[in-house]
Amino acid sequence: MFLSKIWFFLIALAAAIAMTVALVMPRPAQRAAVDEQHNRLAVACGIVNILLSDDAHGRVDLAGSFARAPEIVGALEAASNADKLDDARMKQVRDVGEKIMKGIEGRKPDFAMLIDRKGRVVARVRLDENDFGDYMSGRPLIDDALAGYLRDDLWAQNGTLYFVSAAPAVKRDPPVAYVGAVVLGHKVTNELAQRLVSGLNVDLSFYLGTDSIAGSKTAPLDQTKMQTALATLKESDVVKDCLSSHPLDLRAKNTDFTALVARLPGEAKSRGAYFSVMIEKPAAIGFAGTLKVVRKSDLSFGSFPWILVGGAFLVSLGIGIGLMFVEGDRPLRKLTADAMRLAKGEKEKMSEDEHGGKYGSIARSVNIHIDKLGREAKSARTNLDSLLGPAPEGSLGTIDLLAGALPPSRPGGPAPAAPPPPSDFRFSDPGKAIPTPPPMVRHGSAPVRNNPPPTPPRGAPMPPPLARVSEPMPATAPPPKNAFGGLEDDILGRADPEQTTLVDPYFKSVYDQFVAVKQSCNEPTSGLTYQKFSEKLIKNRDDLIAKTGCKEVRFTVYVKDGKAALKATPVKEE
Amino acid sequence: MFRASWAFVILLPFAAAAHAGSVEGKLELPAVPRPPLQVKGFLDRVENPLAQVKPVAVAQQMVVVLEGDEKPVSPPQVVIELLGETFSRKVVAAPAGSEVVIKNVSKSSRTLVAAEDPKLIPQGPINPTGPKSFRVTEVGKVYTIGDKDAPHLKLKIVVVNTQYVVNPDDSGRFEIDNVPAGSYKLKVWYQDNWLSREDETVNVGAKGKTEINPKIPAGALAPAAKK
Repeated sequence: MFLSKIWFFLIALAAAIAMTVALVMPRPAQRAAVDEQHNRLAVACGIVNILLSDDAHGRVDLAGSFARAPEIVGALEAASNADKLDDARMKQVRDVGEKIMKGIEGRKPDFAMLIDRKGRVVARVRLDENDFGDYMSGRPLIDDALAGYLRDDLWAQNGTLYFVSAAPAVKRDPPVAYVGAVVLGHKVTNELAQRLVSGLNVDLSFYLGTDSIAGSKTAPLDQTKMQTALATLKESDVVKDCLSSHPLDLRAKNTDFTALVARLPGEAKSRGAYFSVMIEKPAAIGFAGTLKVVRKSDLSFGSFPWILVGGAFLVSLGIGIGLMFVEGDRPLRKLTADAMRLAKGEKEKMSEDEHGGKYGSIARSVNIHIDKLGREAKSARTNLDSLLGPAPEGSLGTIDLLAGALPPSRPGGPAPAAPPPPSDFRFSDPGKAIPTPPPMVRHGSAPVRNNPPPTPPRGAPMPPPLARVSEPMPATAPPPKNAFGGLEDDILGRADPEQTTLVDPYFKSVYDQFVAVKQSCNEPTSGLTYQKFSEKLIKNRDDLIAKTGCKEVRFTVYVKDGKAALKATPVKEE
Repeated sequence: MFRASWAFVILLPFAAAAHAGSVEGKLELPAVPRPPLQVKGFLDRVENPLAQVKPVAVAQQMVVVLEGDEKPVSPPQVVIELLGETFSRKVVAAPAGSEVVIKNVSKSSRTLVAAEDPKLIPQGPINPTGPKSFRVTEVGKVYTIGDKDAPHLKLKIVVVNTQYVVNPDDSGRFEIDNVPAGSYKLKVWYQDNWLSREDETVNVGAKGKTEINPKIPAGALAPAAKK
């Protein structure tokens, strides 16, 4: 069985490895998917920055075109030369601005601010249109525009975000001079966010501090996590945030997202403006998930080594069955056949050398037990001899231990219905035992006794059942109570009447049979008295009852090896 | 704006006017062709192709101070206007003990706080046309007044031990009237610090004008230029 055990170990090991591989393999794929998603987010974040920069180019160009409009230049020059701005001038300049605004193709600005060279707002178009005269100089975008620069910025105003661009208004007629600046503002809207990420398969949201301003998707994300992530961004150039920002796991409306945050530049940066690109987090792949996504083509002969797998399975199965046959089935059959031969009596012991391994151990154990039973039978005979006291040597015959202790398959006859108790020792083959009177019932119950066998005359031939050890004596009925008198005359002649009342009819019957058999075997009976005989039988009976827990003990007289023998059999049931 | 910047100088009391002269001159400023980039958008700023970019008006961030042995007498009121997204001056020298008044002449309210002393300015927003006043007493103290919602809105107040202070115009020209006769040291404050240059001694006569043209070396403005 050693090789079979090794094989089962190898099979179990292979199965464990296969299971481990099956459970572990999805994890690298999961990591790869997560990494791919992070890369995708970083790329999307970078693309959003590029698109916003590209959008800023367009807005700055638009502001430049706006500021170059002769009507604007003229209106701002006039306003710059005025000490005070009035409502009429404001309306006139606003109309000019509105007219130009209408002529813009494509995405129109949400507002325009026309500023004179002193930094005063001459007019506002489409946003706070009635406000004018306030100084806008001081804001970096305005100061730069008034100094001659074109640039863009991001303003947080009235709870929303504006992409703003500015350009100086220059009077080109000599002498060339700056006459003011134009500021255009584009509101950050959901449409803008959707347009920016169309085709990227991600979502985009803009935030001002903890307030959501606009986004391609309405998903209230955990601001605490995003603010914590923002706090880790230290680069002065916010464009690098897309590379240095770490993906976040966020949850909104029962949906898990992976998000990347990046700060927005400009003035709004100091107000905590930022954007996030996010993507729905893929479900964990795992083993079951991997099985779910297996396609039919994955299991086709072209892509799966069915022959190799099938061959490995058949080889494993064949080796396992072969080892089972060689180490299990075949030795077991051999042992079974050997045991059957033993049961049939064709051999006295099992052939230990013919069986290897555990089966050899079984055979050896059986043989050891056979030897042990033999020794116990001898011991029992010695004990019975001592029980029967000074009877002539060998008067009780020999104990045939095998006859009473072998298992049901023992040689020499069919197995008994129930195995005999360990203390059931016999003096002869039970199948051929001499019938004896019914066993005595304790506590004085009246036993049903067979008639005593006829006492054979000395030298007379034994009746056929007694002529051989295997032949049982005929059953005898218990003698009538009035028959005790005859017995007293023969053996207990000196017993007083009180003693005669103690004579047990059953023991007396056994005694008589025993004496008769001894005499028939030409054995001396002079030293044998009923009293001693019955005392030994009573003691033996009590010992057996105490030892086996039986209710009664039956004694059988028989002949063995030409001598009378006596067998005590515990009877468990009446 | 210049008129506004000169306003608080006019408000200075006339002390010892009988024996006082005036100090005038022009700061010899180095050329700072390009204003520093304060905030960057998605793109770098681009110079327009039609005209040369205006040089930086560094004088707007300067204060000229004449320090003598005398302490300010009858500390004057210093008035600064909040114009909108900027103050009338970005740097102001206030004599110790003077009252600083900030007037909001813009159309929006602001909440101003001194970074160095949050209790300096009375709490609450300054509504349009509404003033906020406070007194500065500690000589040498510098206050940075600003609004947290408008990082670009900043005002530096330098507390000095003299009442003879003036903000030069964009070209650097300045004039201080009613300066009692005596010897003074001329100091120039620029943005966040006193300029690192040797203080010039100015002897003011009992009458007439005393002219002085302090030279500002290019290196003195370097920290600001780096911004």
